[in-house]
Amino acid sequence: MKVLLRNPRRELDVAGPITVTALLQRLELSPEAVLVIAGDELVARDARLDDAATVEIRPVTSGGAPTR
Amino acid sequence: MKCTVCRGPAVIDVRRHNAAFCPDHFIVHCRDQVRRAITEHDMLSPDDRVLVAVSGGKDSLALWDLLAALDVPADGLHLRLGIGDYSTESTRAARAYASARGWTLHEVDLDADWGFTIPDAAAATHRVPCSACGLSKRHLCNQYAVEHGYDVVATGHNLDDEAAVLLGNVLRWETGYLGRQQPVLPAAPGFARKVKPLVRLGERELAAYCVIRRIDYQVEECPLASGNRHLAYKEVLNGLEHRSPGTKAAFVHGFFARGQTRFTGEDTATPLQPCATCGAPTPGEVCAFCRLRARVAERQ
Repeated sequence: MKVLLRNPRRELDVAGPITVTALLQRLELSPEAVLVIAGDELVARDARLDDAATVEIRPVTSGGAPTR
Repeated sequence: MKCTVCRGPAVIDVRRHNAAFCPDHFIVHCRDQVRRAITEHDMLSPDDRVLVAVSGGKDSLALWDLLAALDVPADGLHLRLGIGDYSTESTRAARAYASARGWTLHEVDLDADWGFTIPDAAAATHRVPCSACGLSKRHLCNQYAVEHGYDVVATGHNLDDEAAVLLGNVLRWETGYLGRQQPVLPAAPGFARKVKPLVRLGERELAAYCVIRRIDYQVEECPLASGNRHLAYKEVLNGLEHRSPGTKAAFVHGFFARGQTRFTGEDTATPLQPCATCGAPTPGEVCAFCRLRARVAERQ
């Protein structure tokens, strides 16, 4: 499957099927810091992603100016 | 994974609540959390004129959307910061969201209106860009609200932001800042009330909210924020949260409930007076924003 990563933006090929949790573990990404979107739908951690899926792993952490 | 409410297929889990939600019930969850934050902290009154600080990112657009869903009418204020393509895309997202709904989005252009950009300010001060950015946002949002008759400025600071700031303030025992870290900063002469209605929602929930609601937001990270201390604190907190769900909420909401008042008064500094340049309240002769402008002008 095609996996889009951001910051920096890049694309990987990952063999499926694979669960969201396993995919994040393989890519060493914290599940607290990303969402996984298949097509344009959000998918849960136990969802199984097919080999034909197009997947975006979207970071959710904003790091701009903190408040005091 | 099944929705805790309806047992339908879940699309997101919220481990600190030991819950998972389908799209519809996740939206209900987000609205409930914002309603609860507004009520618990007495953030808004029915007649308030509310100004939402809209960056074009997930938090501010979700906030505007959630306030509207809770029947809190609000106008938006977008600051154009001059951070290259990042700012261009942020402005596009903010305008597109407002225009699709026919809502009012005011804009302030830092370069055109004030003569500098955030990269200019960072270069002039030799400090991290986030410092000048935060200072400019606080000053200009408040100034716009006061000058245009808004009672309240609502910002998209979320649970993760508050946890990271709190950790930073505790690690350095910044007692003055701890005394001011609250979900509501009351109005004062020259200052609109500041409220943070998203303090009960994490940034993963807010990104998920935007995806489910099909809100097109600026997804890319600010290129100037990369590697800053605030991001490092978030990474540490995410590690703790992963091992022990609920840690961030206990840290932040425990502080608001039992810790913050212990630091009240730590920031009682010099009485405020009008800035000699712009008239904004300041403890010195000239406010920090005008001093920043002067430093940039000297360098230019």
